[in-house]
Amino acid sequence: MTALAEPRAAPLLRPALSSRGRMLPALLLLPCLAWITFFFLAPLVLMCWRSLASEGFSLEPYGVLFTSPLFTKVMITTVRTAAITTVFALLLAYPLAYALTVSGGKVRALILVFTLIPYWVDIIVRSFSWLILLGDNGMVNKALMALGIVSAPLQMLYNPFSVLLAMVQILLPLTTVTLFGAMLRIDRTLITAAKIHGASEWHAFRTVFFPLSLPGVYGAGLLVFVLALGFYVTPALLGSPRETMIAQTIMVEASQLLDWPQASAAGAVLLIITTSIAAIYNRYFSLDRLWGGSDK
Amino acid sequence: MSATAGRLGLSAAVLAVLIYLIFPVIVVVAISFSSGNFLVFPPPGFSLRWYESIAGDPEWVNALWVTLKVGSLSALIAVLLGVPAAFALVRHVIPAKALLSALILCALVTPPIVTALSTYLFFVPLGLVNTVVGLACAHAVSGMPFVVINTSASLRSADINLERAAVIHGAHPLWAVLRITLPIISPGIVIGAIFAFVHSAHELLVATFVLGGVGKPVAVKIWSGVQATSDPTIAAASAILIGLAIFTFASAAATQSLAKRRTA
Repeated sequence: MTALAEPRAAPLLRPALSSRGRMLPALLLLPCLAWITFFFLAPLVLMCWRSLASEGFSLEPYGVLFTSPLFTKVMITTVRTAAITTVFALLLAYPLAYALTVSGGKVRALILVFTLIPYWVDIIVRSFSWLILLGDNGMVNKALMALGIVSAPLQMLYNPFSVLLAMVQILLPLTTVTLFGAMLRIDRTLITAAKIHGASEWHAFRTVFFPLSLPGVYGAGLLVFVLALGFYVTPALLGSPRETMIAQTIMVEASQLLDWPQASAAGAVLLIITTSIAAIYNRYFSLDRLWGGSDK
Repeated sequence: MSATAGRLGLSAAVLAVLIYLIFPVIVVVAISFSSGNFLVFPPPGFSLRWYESIAGDPEWVNALWVTLKVGSLSALIAVLLGVPAAFALVRHVIPAKALLSALILCALVTPPIVTALSTYLFFVPLGLVNTVVGLACAHAVSGMPFVVINTSASLRSADINLERAAVIHGAHPLWAVLRITLPIISPGIVIGAIFAFVHSAHELLVATFVLGGVGKPVAVKIWSGVQATSDPTIAAASAILIGLAIFTFASAAATQSLAKRRTA
């Protein structure tokens, strides 16, 4: 599947434009591509260059990274947090996306609006909200104590739990919309066929719908995982200072230690990881299906 | 499992997940109207004092103004460059199309900290650090995918025959595009621009590196506030952003239904 689907009526207006017609697509694309090259790709190349050539050419910043136990720990925390976030986001998004697929009209619109409102709210704001809810005097602790479940406030902030809770909430709208897009492409007559042949609703779901939805699940999973790897705000606000993610490391090296080669090297490592995963995603699922872009 | 039990289970799961999604938003909005001095939920009473304190604080007003300028300029750049690109990608046969559209979209999956660091290193020698224009140029890159995606979707569903009819009747092809097709796909362009604007207003890391010193935009100011203070001003500032988001969301939905009516 190519990105941005094939034109419906291919070479239209070509006769009227004659020879200029062949130049036209290049002229239309050029400004956009030039902008991206200058303001996005060139900076990335420069960053990778800065990681290699601080004082003459050296791989030293990378040597420091890969021999440092701290960096290894940060990488493990980052990958683990992103992986667990992805699993929970998929588990919670699946029923929501399924409900969107099988419901129609007003119910679908209502679920969609409630799913999308948080997507339009700042990540800082949503992380901040958990800070209020999970604190010692927060609503969750007060409720638990009022119910007599615990006698003293539980320490729910600044640990993997609070980071996970907020990150899953932040990534859920995107996961749901991506899954929903994939589920809409499933041919629903196959489920009807299964039911006609005597399958119960559950059996039809389990043996027909669910297997057909798995490629969509893998796609959404890859996407959420890539985005989760780069999270900064949520772990910085809600996480333990002893368990930081790679974006926080890069931030500290750049803005506090002003160690540009080291920050650039860590940035290059993160860039290579996310670009590889995005390339795999693009190979199998094509990036422009995000946000329901191509077909719906 | 019986069908009704399955339905019931699904409804319960959907309800629970929706509450989990919406609750943090409700909390921040409620606290912004709090009469108390601290960040507690539920708030002790109702007041508008935190909004008044934002309106009366030149720093916050200035931050909102900076966000508005950066967001509008970056959305404008994204539209001017993204719309022609969408035309090329949808209507023309071009080599390496998949690669080109992936290139346009890849800003969305690049970790913001990487974009921020590289943009900063690139901007320092160019003198673009600490400028509104510099930040808008950087934000335009991540705004472009939203414009290209939404414009392409509109363009694909627009009826090409209207444009052909104009050309057959003697209109210059460019004129036909400007006068016939552009108005038809304008809702898609507007939605793309709104997405681009909201993305810019929320973006923290590039903003911190490029415009983190003087003349901070709202996101940067909220972030420094979240880490330092503990009174509901932050909640009010956040609620203003939420209000802005819901307003844009509603106008996007309105534009979309308008578009449906027009194309129907």
